[in-house]
Amino acid sequence: MRNLNFDSSRWKLLNNIMVGIFSLYGIAIQNYNVDETSYFQKLMIEMLTPIQQGTTSIKEKVFYTFDHYVNIVNTSKENVVLKDSVVKLKNKIFTLEEVQRENERLKSLLEFGREIPRKKVLAQVVSWDSSNEFKVLRINKGSLHGLTEMSPVITMTGLVGYVYRLSDNYADILTILDQNNRVDSIVVRTRTHGIVEGISGFTCQLKYVSRTETLELGDEIITAGLGEIYPKGIKIGKISKIDKENFGITQKIEITPSVDFHKLEEVVVLIEDQVVAKSIDMKDKK
Amino acid sequence: MKYSLLEVVIGFLKTALLLIVLEIFSSAILPSFGIDEFKPAFNVLIVLFLAFKLDAPFLPFLILAFQYIHSTFSIEGWASGTFAGILIAVSVRYVRDMLNFSTAISTIIVVQVFQLAWFFLVSSILSIKLGDFSNFINIFLQYIPESIFLSLISFHFFKLLDFFWKVNKRSHGVSL
Repeated sequence: MRNLNFDSSRWKLLNNIMVGIFSLYGIAIQNYNVDETSYFQKLMIEMLTPIQQGTTSIKEKVFYTFDHYVNIVNTSKENVVLKDSVVKLKNKIFTLEEVQRENERLKSLLEFGREIPRKKVLAQVVSWDSSNEFKVLRINKGSLHGLTEMSPVITMTGLVGYVYRLSDNYADILTILDQNNRVDSIVVRTRTHGIVEGISGFTCQLKYVSRTETLELGDEIITAGLGEIYPKGIKIGKISKIDKENFGITQKIEITPSVDFHKLEEVVVLIEDQVVAKSIDMKDKK
Repeated sequence: MKYSLLEVVIGFLKTALLLIVLEIFSSAILPSFGIDEFKPAFNVLIVLFLAFKLDAPFLPFLILAFQYIHSTFSIEGWASGTFAGILIAVSVRYVRDMLNFSTAISTIIVVQVFQLAWFFLVSSILSIKLGDFSNFINIFLQYIPESIFLSLISFHFFKLLDFFWKVNKRSHGVSL
């Protein structure tokens, strides 16, 4: 076996410089608003996301085992049979109830926003970004389902974000909680314009609002429809904190999003009709 | 120091597999249990291990490869982490004699210090790109518990990586 024996400091220096320059180039071209996924990354996402998706069912099975089996190890055989049948029946009822709840959720999601003249694709949240600094979530629909980059993503309670990067069957959503996402917005009561940006954690801020604007706690914020990403009138959240300093020309406004990101399971992606037709055509050809 | 190509490939594959499992843990398993504000950056720990213990000419390419794998799970991308990793690897070369990984406490302190350096490098790059440093402190405060957790597990984590890269077999003291 040939040894990788280029132990000279020249090699180290050269490699460091080469990769360093390459990474600087990467930093320069990196766009935090939208990303064109490379073929290798697409392949990795397609291969690894089903595992991320599978972890949810593993969790359910683990809980099921703990809840239903561990406590009945020492009971009589008859008891085991009876309890087993009860557990099975309860499990069946639970599954049916879960299906019913899911149906109701999906139905109301689909019915929501009928006035928005776009096709709606329903998707499930698979995972979150592995870095806490970025508030990005991955869904189980991709370009084969008609999604395009920058497609807006909503739920019945409000705005979630937009499609940041895509593979065939999965998409990453840059949520409104992320500091890279900026949404042109309006305060409903006063029609004041501002830009909603993520801070950190699970709140946002409304920026560039003049100190003279008389906003109140609880004022509702909606999308302004500018910027060609989000349709106008989608709920973003409510003002939860106003901080007016004695200096400066703007005020600090914190917003609690109307979407509960802690409990987000399904989302709706809004796409143009022409794009849907094109993607279905592609799927048929495949 | 001599590494055969086969040893590098095996070490890389084992570490890559570990990274993928840990990224899935951070991005899917923790959120499914409702823990969505605590995501330890295991890629940082792996890159720090490489910088501390693998004084090899191919090190920058390994850092690049592991950051590329990380970019599959995060929109952070590969570039800023690679740049930070290379700067840390170069700086480690000058302070290697002062670093000590023989005890858990010294490993925890060294890893914590370099994690903070990593945070300042990567977050500064991101803030410069965004033209906005207003979230720097908030993100830093959020990063502290995660970095302490990573520092606490670093001693045993490094032992596992020592095994993958056969470091103890080759090392004379700290460096290879």
